[in-house]
Amino acid sequence: MAITDAGILYGLLAVGAGLATGLAGIGAGVGEQGIGAAVVGVVAEEPGFLGKGLFLMLLPETLIIFGLAVSLILMFAWTPFAAIL
Amino acid sequence: MLRPVEMSRIVVAGSKDVIEPVVEKLHELRLLHLVNFSGSQNGFEMGKPIGKAKEYSEDLIKLRSMARYLDVKSKAPTVTFSDSQVLSQKDDLINKVGDEVTSTFERMVAIDAESKIKLDQAKVLRPLAVLPLPLEDYYGYETLAVFVGTVKSAVDADVARVSPKSEVYSGSTKTASIVAVFVPKDKASEVSSVLSEHGFAEISVPHLEGNVDSAISCLESSAKSLEAEKAPLQQKLKDLRKQYEDLILATDEYLSIQTQKTEAPLRFATTENAFVIDGWAPTSEFGRLKADIESAAGGHVDVEKLDDAEAEGLAEHGEDIPTKMNNPGIVKPYELITRLYAIPEYKEFDPTLLIFVFFPIMFGMILGDIGYGVMIFLAVMLLKKKFRTDGWQQLCNIVLIASVWAVIFGAVFGEIFGPLGLWGKIMGHLPEHEIELLKETGGFFGEGVFGALGRLGPGGIFPMDRLATNAVLMLIGISIFIGVLHCSVGSIFGIKTELNYGEKKHAYFERLPVLMFQVFFAIFLLGLVMGQMIMVYLGGIVILISIVMNVMGPEGPMGAAHIPFYVSNLISYLRLLAIGLASVGLAFAANQLAFYVIMPMLSGGAESPTIFATIAGIIVLFLVHFINMLLGILSPFMHPLRLHYVEMFTKFYSAHGGGVEYSPFGHVRRFLKA
Repeated sequence: MAITDAGILYGLLAVGAGLATGLAGIGAGVGEQGIGAAVVGVVAEEPGFLGKGLFLMLLPETLIIFGLAVSLILMFAWTPFAAIL
Repeated sequence: MLRPVEMSRIVVAGSKDVIEPVVEKLHELRLLHLVNFSGSQNGFEMGKPIGKAKEYSEDLIKLRSMARYLDVKSKAPTVTFSDSQVLSQKDDLINKVGDEVTSTFERMVAIDAESKIKLDQAKVLRPLAVLPLPLEDYYGYETLAVFVGTVKSAVDADVARVSPKSEVYSGSTKTASIVAVFVPKDKASEVSSVLSEHGFAEISVPHLEGNVDSAISCLESSAKSLEAEKAPLQQKLKDLRKQYEDLILATDEYLSIQTQKTEAPLRFATTENAFVIDGWAPTSEFGRLKADIESAAGGHVDVEKLDDAEAEGLAEHGEDIPTKMNNPGIVKPYELITRLYAIPEYKEFDPTLLIFVFFPIMFGMILGDIGYGVMIFLAVMLLKKKFRTDGWQQLCNIVLIASVWAVIFGAVFGEIFGPLGLWGKIMGHLPEHEIELLKETGGFFGEGVFGALGRLGPGGIFPMDRLATNAVLMLIGISIFIGVLHCSVGSIFGIKTELNYGEKKHAYFERLPVLMFQVFFAIFLLGLVMGQMIMVYLGGIVILISIVMNVMGPEGPMGAAHIPFYVSNLISYLRLLAIGLASVGLAFAANQLAFYVIMPMLSGGAESPTIFATIAGIIVLFLVHFINMLLGILSPFMHPLRLHYVEMFTKFYSAHGGGVEYSPFGHVRRFLKA
C-alpha cells in the first residue's frame, strides 16, 4: 500500500489502539502487585479470606478492559471515518 | 432455592433428671443449632458437664498424641465400626497399644538425641587431631588450668611472658590454628586475658580416652549402629499404623462424640432442678424434633417454638439466625463459590442458583472451543476419581458443567483447537458474486459475514469466526447484554433484600436507580448503534431521572459519585469477549505456526511435509495448545468469578455483614456405624 494520508492515519490508529491496551495492562499490573502480595499474606494467616482476597485482587483488572474498549473503538468504530479522510 | 431454609427459634426446657436422654436424642437428630447461654440472665447459671466428661477428654488427648506419633491422618473411610466394637477395644488401644507406640517413639527420639551427641563430639574432636596429645591428657588436673581452642595468631611468647611455667602445644588445620595451653591454676585468669587478645575461641573437649582419630571413628561407628537400631522401630510404627489406623480414627470419632455430649450442658442455662436449651431449627422439622425429644424424655420436657415477633426481637438483639442454604443437588457444588465469598445472612438471598445459571455460560462463552472443552471434561473426570474430598468433588462438578458449555459455544464459534480451517472444504466455497457483494458492503472477512466459516442461520451467522470484525462487534453487544441482565438480576435482589430489612429509602433511592441507569444506558447505546433516536432520547431521560433519584437518596449528592461505577460495571463484561479473543488468538497462532511456518520450513519447500517436519510441527502444536488450555481453565474460571463477586454481589449481597452457617448439635458419623 502506498503511503497516503489515510494509510498513515490508519497506522496511527493501530498504534494508538496498541498503546491503549498495553499501557492499561501495565497500569493494572502495577496496581495488582501490591494487592496480590497483601492478599497472599492474609490468606496464609486466614484461609477463609480467599474469596474476599480474590475480589480485591481482581478489582484493577477492569482497567485493562477499559483500555481494550478504547482499542476496539479505535480499530472498529473509527475505521469508517479513517476511510473518508 | 433463592432463600435459605426457614428457621424457627426453639426452646427446650425440662427437669434435670432427663438431661442425659434429651442430649442423647438432640445429638442423634442433628437438627438444633444451639445458641450458647450467655450467662446474663438472673436465676440461671451455666450447666455442668454430665457423666465421664473428664475421662473422655483425657482419653482423647492420649489418643490424639498417639495418632500424631503414628502420623495417622483423616481419610475417606474404608471400614466402619459399631459403637460397642470401639468401646470394647478402646481401653486396650489407648493403654496397651498407646504405651507401645509412645515407648517406641520415645526410643526413636532418644536414639536421635544420642547419635546427635556422638556426631557433635566427633565434629569437636576433629581439629584436635593435629595436636600430639591423647584425649585423657586434656582433663583431670588439680593444679593445672587447660585452655584448648582456636586462635588467630601464635600465642607461645605471650603465654610464656605472663606464666613462665607453662606448656603450649599448637598445630593448624586447613581453616584454623589450634592450641592447647597448660598453666598453673593461679595464672589462669591472666593467661585467659592474654589468649583472648589473640582471638581465642574455646573448644570444650569431651571426656574421652585414647588417640583422637580412633575416638572419632569409635563415635562415628556407634552413631551408625544407633541409626541402624532406628530402622526396625520405624518399621514397627509403620506396622502399628497399618493395623490400627481405622480403629484410631473410629475411636477418635467416638470420643469426640462423647465429649461433645457430656460437655453440652456448658452451653445450656440451668437452675437447681431444671435446664433450658435455646436454639434454631428448620421450621419444617419442628414437629419431628418436638415429638422425638418429648418421647425420649418421657414427658418431663417441654419443646416450644417462639412466635415470629419474639424470634425477630431476639435477632435484633444480636442473636444470629443460622443460614442453611437450600439448593437442589445439581446446584449444590456452586455453594462452594458462594461460600468462598461469604455465607449469606438469613434474610438475604442465596445467590447460588444465579451462579449456577450464569457461571457456566460465561465460562463457555470465554473458552468456546470443542477441543479444549472435551479435553477439560476428560481431565476433570480423572481428577474426580482421584480426589475424593468434598471440596474437590464440588470444584470438579463446577468445571465439568462449565466444560459442557465450552463445547456448546465451541460449536457456535466453529472452533476445534482453534478456528476451523477445513470449513471451506466441507461446505464448499461461496459463489464468486456473493463474495463480490460482501466486499462492496464491507462485510467480507474471509468468507461469510461472520468470518470464513459462516454458512448457517440468519445472515450466515453460524459458525461465527471470533476473529472476524463483525463477530467481534456482535460479541461486544452480547457481552454488554449479558452484563445488563446479570447486573439487573443483582439489582432486583438488592431492592428485595433492602425491603426485607425494612429499609425503603435504601431500596428505592439507592438500589432502584442502579437498575434504571444500567438498563436504560444499554437502551441508549443500542439506540445510537441502530440509529433509533427515540431510544436514545428515552434512555437519556431515564438516565437523568435515575441520577436525580440517586442524589435524593440516603447518601445525598455523594450518591452521584457512584455513577461512573455503574458504567464501568457494564464495560467490565467486555472481558467475556476479550479473554476469549486472547485464547482463540493463541490457538490460531499455534495452528499457523505449525502448519504454515514450521512444517514448510523444515521440509525445505517440498510439496508434502517430511516426517521430521511433521513431528516437529506436532510437538509445537502440542506445547502451545497445552499452555493455552491451562490458561483456558484458569482465566475463564477466574473472570466470571470476578464478574459475580465484584459486579453482581455488590448490588445485593452482604450489605449487613456475613451470615453464620447452620451447624446443628451433633456429629457426622464417618468411621462409626450409624
